Amino acid sequence: MPGRRMAARRALKTVLVDLSGTLHIEDSAVPGAQEALKRLRSAPVTIRFVTNTTKECKRDLLERLTKLGFDIAENEIFTSLTAARNLLEQRQVRPLLLVDDKALPDFTGIATDDPNAVVVGLAPEHFHYEMMNRAFRLILDGAPLIAIHKARYFKKKDGLALGPGPFVAGLEYATDTKATVVGKPEKTFFLEALRGTGCVPEEAVMIGDDCRDDVGGAQNAGMRGILVRTGKYRPADEDKINPAPYLTCENFPEAVEHILEHLL
Amino acid sequence: MAAWARAVRGLLLDVSGVLYDSGGDGGVPIAGSVEAVRRIKASGLKLRFCTNETQATREKFVKKLQGMGFDISVDEVTAPAPAACRILKERSLRPHLLVHNDLVPEFAEIDKANPNCVVIGDAAENFTYANLNEAFRVLIGMEKPVLISLGRGRYYKETDGLKLDVGAYMKALEYACDVQAEVVGKPAKMFFESALAEMGVPPQQAIMIGDDIVNDVGGAQRCGMRALQVRTGKYRSVEALRPALRGGNRGKRGSNCR
Repeated sequence: MPGRRMAARRALKTVLVDLSGTLHIEDSAVPGAQEALKRLRSAPVTIRFVTNTTKECKRDLLERLTKLGFDIAENEIFTSLTAARNLLEQRQVRPLLLVDDKALPDFTGIATDDPNAVVVGLAPEHFHYEMMNRAFRLILDGAPLIAIHKARYFKKKDGLALGPGPFVAGLEYATDTKATVVGKPEKTFFLEALRGTGCVPEEAVMIGDDCRDDVGGAQNAGMRGILVRTGKYRPADEDKINPAPYLTCENFPEAVEHILEHLL
Repeated sequence: MAAWARAVRGLLLDVSGVLYDSGGDGGVPIAGSVEAVRRIKASGLKLRFCTNETQATREKFVKKLQGMGFDISVDEVTAPAPAACRILKERSLRPHLLVHNDLVPEFAEIDKANPNCVVIGDAAENFTYANLNEAFRVLIGMEKPVLISLGRGRYYKETDGLKLDVGAYMKALEYACDVQAEVVGKPAKMFFESALAEMGVPPQQAIMIGDDIVNDVGGAQRCGMRALQVRTGKYRSVEALRPALRGGNRGKRGSNCR
């Protein structure tokens, strides 16, 4: 019932912005992005910067973005690590953290002694038999298994390398349980990103370059999604999800223009 | 003697969790098992040891059990590695091995140069990220990845606790490469059938005894045998399993099997 949906469309309250591929490509900012962000801040919206990562803590992300000329506060950043932390706090559990050392600062303040939960990120140094058995026994005894994400593999300079996904799959099989996956494109990631903004998904928009993980995931959570043609975008990506992105445009500055003109 | 028992002419015995519990120190026989094996042999029943253990060659495995007092010999054992070798030879497969160091001699006659498949066994400490990655790279580089898994058990019991079995790592590689492994060993039908053929007893006249409800009992029954579940080894009571079966409430499960 498109007519009814249009009538019920609410004013925009929150904008979620992907980082890599949307605001910056590696060590260069997307041209005009810093200015566009300034313009967006002149509007009455809450902004959150969201990303999947298993080994960059907020502090490191903030440093990189600040160096590129973006005006961002640490508490505006929400990552898959943050999502994992929030889940641990909600459930009041103490995790065995199979995560990169560089990610640990995002878990400061969470008790880890006598663990009754398991968190798995990309952590090759922890995926040896002894540690996997520790995790396995905890989960078999009822500890929830939380996966930062379930990527199968990733590209390294010298070839492909196993991601955290296979190890999560192995633990799921051995314990006959299912992991809670907290990163994009899970619905819970987007809902968690909105926590504290005082708005519902229908009052939010997500801007990203990954059609499936950013736009598809956000729209599946009830938000509107704006796909930008930078970063990992490939022609016709917008045809790969259903429903199609609310908007496909050139880049972050164009997305901001659209928001300022049409969504407030 | 009960009517059903008169028809039984042979027993298939699982080893780990039935006869003994494995462990870093070599392991410990389960009380009464040595005597029970002696009684079976004295009764005239045929007997075959049907094991998925792949942490050692059959020779080493048998020597270990003989050292505990068990009356067992290599030609009474049906194990996955020799079965896998037959398959590799039949299909001209050259394996990249992800197995325990002590199992490698079972593959001595097999050409391993320029591998076109991966064979995964219970590699225990050899299940490092680096070794798994190496096996993954062999598979992902193949047009049609061939992954042969020696068993698919989820875990087994050792003297110092429960440990991940080959199945967990088989699943990891299956997930990574989006491929399905071929299982050699329990619960594959072919494995039970070859054990029965070696014993010379048809399934209707054989009974399997095991601690693994899925791989021992389930697999045997699917071949037309009857099977007995023992409460030793990896066995966990229904009470312990129920929360997992329900899937939801996972709060207060006790660890009553350790």
